[in-house]
Amino acid sequence: MFNAIVSADTLRTTLDSVSVLVDECKIHLNEDGIEIRAVDPANVGMVDLSLSAEAFESYETDGGLIGVNLSRLEDIAGMAGSDQLVHLELDEETRKLHIQIDGLEYTLALIDPDSIRQEPDLPDLDLPANVVIEGRDIDRAVKAADMVSDHIALGVDDADELFYVDAEGDTDDVHFELDREDLIDLTPGNARSLFSLDYLKDMNKAIPKDAEVSMELGEEFPVKMHFDIAEGQGKVTFMLAPRIQSD
Amino acid sequence: MDWTEKYRPSSLSELRGNNKARDKLQEWAETWDEHRKAVVLHGSPGVGKTSAAHALANDMNWPTIELNASDSRTKDVIERVAGEAAKSGTLTAGGGGRRIVILDEADNIHGNADRGGSRAVTSLVKEASQPMVLIANEFYDMSNGLRNACEDIEFRDVSKRSIVPVLRDLCRKEDIEFETEALERIAEMNSGDLRGAVKDLQALADGKDRIVADDVVTGERDTTQGVFDYLDTVIKKAGPEEALKASYDVDETPDDLINWIEDNMPKDYEGEELAVAYDFLANADKWLGRVRATQNYSYWRYAGDNMTAGVAAARRGEKGGWTRYGPPSYWSKLGRSRGTRNKRDYVARKIAAHHGVSMATARREIMPHLAVMTHHCKNRDLTVAMTARYDLDAEHVSFVTGSGKDTNKVQSIVEDAEERKAELAVEHSGGAFEGATAGETSVEGDEDEDEASEEQAQVTLGDSEAAEEDDDEPSPEERADEATDDDQQSGLGDFV
Repeated sequence: MFNAIVSADTLRTTLDSVSVLVDECKIHLNEDGIEIRAVDPANVGMVDLSLSAEAFESYETDGGLIGVNLSRLEDIAGMAGSDQLVHLELDEETRKLHIQIDGLEYTLALIDPDSIRQEPDLPDLDLPANVVIEGRDIDRAVKAADMVSDHIALGVDDADELFYVDAEGDTDDVHFELDREDLIDLTPGNARSLFSLDYLKDMNKAIPKDAEVSMELGEEFPVKMHFDIAEGQGKVTFMLAPRIQSD
Repeated sequence: MDWTEKYRPSSLSELRGNNKARDKLQEWAETWDEHRKAVVLHGSPGVGKTSAAHALANDMNWPTIELNASDSRTKDVIERVAGEAAKSGTLTAGGGGRRIVILDEADNIHGNADRGGSRAVTSLVKEASQPMVLIANEFYDMSNGLRNACEDIEFRDVSKRSIVPVLRDLCRKEDIEFETEALERIAEMNSGDLRGAVKDLQALADGKDRIVADDVVTGERDTTQGVFDYLDTVIKKAGPEEALKASYDVDETPDDLINWIEDNMPKDYEGEELAVAYDFLANADKWLGRVRATQNYSYWRYAGDNMTAGVAAARRGEKGGWTRYGPPSYWSKLGRSRGTRNKRDYVARKIAAHHGVSMATARREIMPHLAVMTHHCKNRDLTVAMTARYDLDAEHVSFVTGSGKDTNKVQSIVEDAEERKAELAVEHSGGAFEGATAGETSVEGDEDEDEASEEQAQVTLGDSEAAEEDDDEPSPEERADEATDDDQQSGLGDFV
């Protein structure tokens, strides 16, 4: 049993942060909220998302697991105005999700969860550096780097206590740095890793500009980015494997 | 459950048959950090290539990314999935972590669904920073560039001797009694194909707890013969009948097979036998033409007879040794000459339209004369006239005359032809637009000089039409005059 009402805005933000990596995902329906964990087909990017029951206008379930086609669900959510409510109800018999937006009713066929890529284990990493940064600063860095290259280095200078972004193109370079003043918080440690800009661009799309993003970094290690959605009722963690530096 | 999945080896040490290939693969993986090359595993279906790749990943504890033929494998998908996977570290261990990219059926990346795929694979193989395994049935179906960029490991057919113990193990695990002879028959039937043998065993054992030799129906799986082996058969060894029958097992249509044979036969045949063999091939080609024309595919048999049995029958004396056979050059030649053929057809179409002949006639009987008359644009006026008449561009002019397309000579001819065309248009309008704008008349005045010379050329090429124009021009006016006269003036006859 699953019966919930949620604002279209919250639903869209939630779906967006998953759909940047995968087309289909499994949604765990727990009593205290929903959970989604997915890894992209190349096994390079991963998302771990939880949205608590408080983020919903009303939320009732006795547990369960459903598989959905994200782009379909996003299209439907797109039909609603931002202040409208979306009513979701699972039909256990037919395995279909009934979605109501005012008078509009959409019946979404679900996907067999077994046919969706296995969910990844959350790697347990001990990353030395931690940066808390505003979403719009990530946006600036990514946009600037995108002008010159297809990959980007994120690093923390332990001695000077600053966070920096490097992008080296064939002819032009971009360098962007933020010191303790510009950042919300900084735990220095030696860190520098190269990442695919394609992925960061996609992830950046899902990060609200006014969000506080806590970024964990290491030496040639994956980056973890944590931020809140739905006014603190939802938590998202993106994880991205580094590019191998060829030399 | 499918036994081939259930008992798929989880470690290379469990892999049966192909010990040599297995050891080579293991060595490749262990020394990957030094050579950083991709590897191609190739061999017949069912000998354990895919199993080996997965077992290896398991042994090395490398996460796998797999792209197989059921995924669409366009350039985009390959670059996004395999490309990113091959250039990135892992989520658990970062930049030092290894993962393995397995590209199954790498010899089958083509067609519309996989557009641009094989080029993407080649460039990916060259810049990958993670181990990549490509799996293929036909090593030589992959492009040259791809083959050279990879190490290759051949998986040979699994011998009957190695298949029987595998089947025996399976029976024991599944608690099925068996007669050894039954297993031997299965192994025999599936010469070389371990997966086929396991599948046959499962089908036989389904719902039974004992299999005996008589259960084994001695049907054989169709096997395909590689085209290279077949060329060897038809060109060097087989008699006519054998050559024909062997061709049934080759996975090529007669349209393709004739190109394979035609391209490779002259490497071994010489003198009289070469002439006779070509005769047969010519016959085969006629039949293929009839198939195309009538869409009656039963004619394929005559084409097949000629190109296989005929070529084999033409052979005189013993052939031996090893010959380097290659894929037919027919298609690549067609591809390279496409530009030229397009130009030729364009010119022919224009000529055909102007003179009411077929394109073939235009090509065979008119274009050679034109080419001689305008050779290297020596007769400039004529060339300008031709260009204007047939509405040719620089590339077409250069095609007919043999002068370079970018030379000033050709460029100026095309420009003059443009002017000539504009004048002709004015001429042909019969004065309908005369004096319409001041600009037009002044242009005409400037070009008076050229006109005279071009008029001459015009006469040589399209004289009939030019003459017609001249005759026609006054006539409509006259007739119109007559008509108006008629309205006002009655004829004498009206009163008779």
